[in-house]
Amino acid sequence: MAAFGSFALLIALALAAYNLFAGTIALRLIATGQPARISPERLADTARRAGIASFIAVTGAAFALVWSVFNNDFSITYILEHSNRALPAPYKFAALWSGQEGSLLLWAWLLGAYGFVLRLTHKTDVKLYAYAGTILAGVQVFFLAVVNFAAPPFSLLRGAIPEDGNGLNPLLQYPEMVIHPPMLYLGYVGFTIPFAFALGALMMRYPGEKWIKITRGWTMVTWLFLTMGIFLGMHWAYAVLGWGGYWGWDPVENASFMPWLTGTAFLHSVMMQERKGMMKSWNVWLIFSTFMLSILGTLLTRGGLVSSVHAFAQSSIGNWFIAFLVFVLAVCIFTYILQRSHLKSEQHLESLVSRESSFLFNNLVLLAACFVILWGTLFPILSEYVQGSKVTVGPPFYNRVAVPIGLFLLFLTGVGPLLPWRATSLRAIRRNFVIPAIALWATVIVCLAVGVRPWKNGSLDAGDFYALVAFALSAGVFTAILSEFLRGAGVIHKQTRRNLFAAMYLLIRRNTRRYGGYIIHIGVVIVVVGLAGAAFNRSEERELPLHGTLPIGPYTLECVGFTQDSNLNYNSEYALLDVYRDGKKQFQITPEKRVYLASEQPQTMVAIHSVPGWDLYVVYEGTNPDTGQPIIKAFLNPLVSWIWAGVVLMVIGTFIALVPSLAPATATVRVPARQSAPIEPALKGGD
Amino acid sequence: MTETQGFIAGVMLAIALGIYTFWPENGFASQREKTRLEYLLERKEQLYENLRDLNFEYRAGKYPEEDFITQRTLLENETAQLLAEIEHLQQA
Repeated sequence: MAAFGSFALLIALALAAYNLFAGTIALRLIATGQPARISPERLADTARRAGIASFIAVTGAAFALVWSVFNNDFSITYILEHSNRALPAPYKFAALWSGQEGSLLLWAWLLGAYGFVLRLTHKTDVKLYAYAGTILAGVQVFFLAVVNFAAPPFSLLRGAIPEDGNGLNPLLQYPEMVIHPPMLYLGYVGFTIPFAFALGALMMRYPGEKWIKITRGWTMVTWLFLTMGIFLGMHWAYAVLGWGGYWGWDPVENASFMPWLTGTAFLHSVMMQERKGMMKSWNVWLIFSTFMLSILGTLLTRGGLVSSVHAFAQSSIGNWFIAFLVFVLAVCIFTYILQRSHLKSEQHLESLVSRESSFLFNNLVLLAACFVILWGTLFPILSEYVQGSKVTVGPPFYNRVAVPIGLFLLFLTGVGPLLPWRATSLRAIRRNFVIPAIALWATVIVCLAVGVRPWKNGSLDAGDFYALVAFALSAGVFTAILSEFLRGAGVIHKQTRRNLFAAMYLLIRRNTRRYGGYIIHIGVVIVVVGLAGAAFNRSEERELPLHGTLPIGPYTLECVGFTQDSNLNYNSEYALLDVYRDGKKQFQITPEKRVYLASEQPQTMVAIHSVPGWDLYVVYEGTNPDTGQPIIKAFLNPLVSWIWAGVVLMVIGTFIALVPSLAPATATVRVPARQSAPIEPALKGGD
Repeated sequence: MTETQGFIAGVMLAIALGIYTFWPENGFASQREKTRLEYLLERKEQLYENLRDLNFEYRAGKYPEEDFITQRTLLENETAQLLAEIEHLQQA
């Protein structure tokens, strides 16, 4: 299969290159109207079909690699290094993206799949899709060149072929790892689509803003995949790494978060362009940046630029990515300079207190957060380049800057929907903000009453203070969004006499984008509440002999035994811990430590008991070499399950926003013109 | 699968994809340039949507009456200008 896989990759590269060059020539001929021996439309169509054919060839290569993994073909170096005979089937599948070569093949395959759908639906807007398809082909040529020449997944082993492989990295042998990387990659790769449409629309000076409507679904689906990928990664880190947390501001985590921030900014600000023809240059650069940050993310994850617990593959392909990033930036700048007259705003900001300005602030805050994270992520590289020694930036730096930024963003999440478009009067502010403000201050009082203390021993406790602000803002934002639903449902109730729930349903169906968005905001609020819970985390660690006890929070853990198990893939040791609350046994928890046979690497399997109020999180750390006693570390992490619940709501909200709204009922009333005046162009734009 | 079989399968794939790509077909899609009228009709839909939103938010109690009247007048004027240009282009 190695020969077939390599050959399929070469075919895919040739077809993608044809798609790029024939597509470029055809679009140039169409744009200039030059006569040619072949019809430009016919040439463009062969380019489109070459793009589809390229996807089929990459699929063949991906199939060849998966086939070889399942058939234990250890003559292929990649499979020898990332699989073994005893590896369970789902993880054999995951071996496709566990190493650099395979994950780059996955990138190319996913891009091909997105392009396949795009090229099949080209009749939506033939010319715009031809531009987007050609730009996609350019990106595909780069990735296929990398997998063909710099990181080939089908390299053959020289010398004798071993009986068994080295096995998959134990950190990756966890159920979420079968879906987290593809989700993340679907997000990274997916941003190529809105990027291609934005760049194509700019190149062809697309008249109007319809291209945004065309790409909205693509952008939201991509954003959804990236969101799910990030949170699945958080859950994996929480359940596997055994340090009790879910986010450590690791460079690879940051790499996924940065395009999410700019993509989120784009999803908001693009509404201004759609509604009012504003912020065109801003939006174009937001989506350009998002795409480049996605490439940077892939470079950080796969290129070996930074060291990280998440960077499972490192190599010297970094130079390829850096060259590609520079090339993409040059193309973006060149196109922008050439076509910037097309991006003039049709209207201007009328007031600093309006829905438009809230979007603008939201964008500035998201970009500030992105810049801080980018600075912190690249600082070790820059410091090494300038000073010769690597200075690492740790979580305290990010927490000090990102937490206040995040809270301000949460504040804007509540304020934005309450502000009307164009301008807001003082009376409107009073009318819309009273109830959320009451909810906010009531929450402050309740939090103080139940023991949240933002000041301790005469000084401010940053953790408790931020938690208090987060809870209070969350209550205010939740009330603001809820009031939006209730007011809207109230109008529908008056119009149709439906009950509140039916009115709420109809309200959402009438404007799925807006109310789906509000549901996503509620999800964000719930996530923030869960994150704020980290301020109250507790942990205890001790040696725990048989019948020894470990109290933590309302629980007491009693060790009732240790046991061992083994299978073809790993040996494991368990601690059997009975958990008591108020003197009564509640359940048994079994933290585990595994040693994988092929790689001879140990791995902790955390035991988690989750309830809405907190997680009991127990780690079996092995035995103390001096005393021979087992060491147990227990954490009580408040509100963690709220994070995962919030994500589920964000996913539901995104699905709702993707559903088309009900068509509005319209009636035409003709009135005579008051005066006949010479007709001036009503709107700028559309050139 | 041996190396030779893999190579043969690859050649067959290349031939099949080449035929698909370059198969002469007359039914390919083409598109004429978008006119200003089409652009204005798209904008008209957006302005109607903005007006519908404004009315709905007023009924939901988000706007005091004076604010609503000011905003509606601005939007209606913008829409009226646009409709006039559409009518002009349609008659021309």
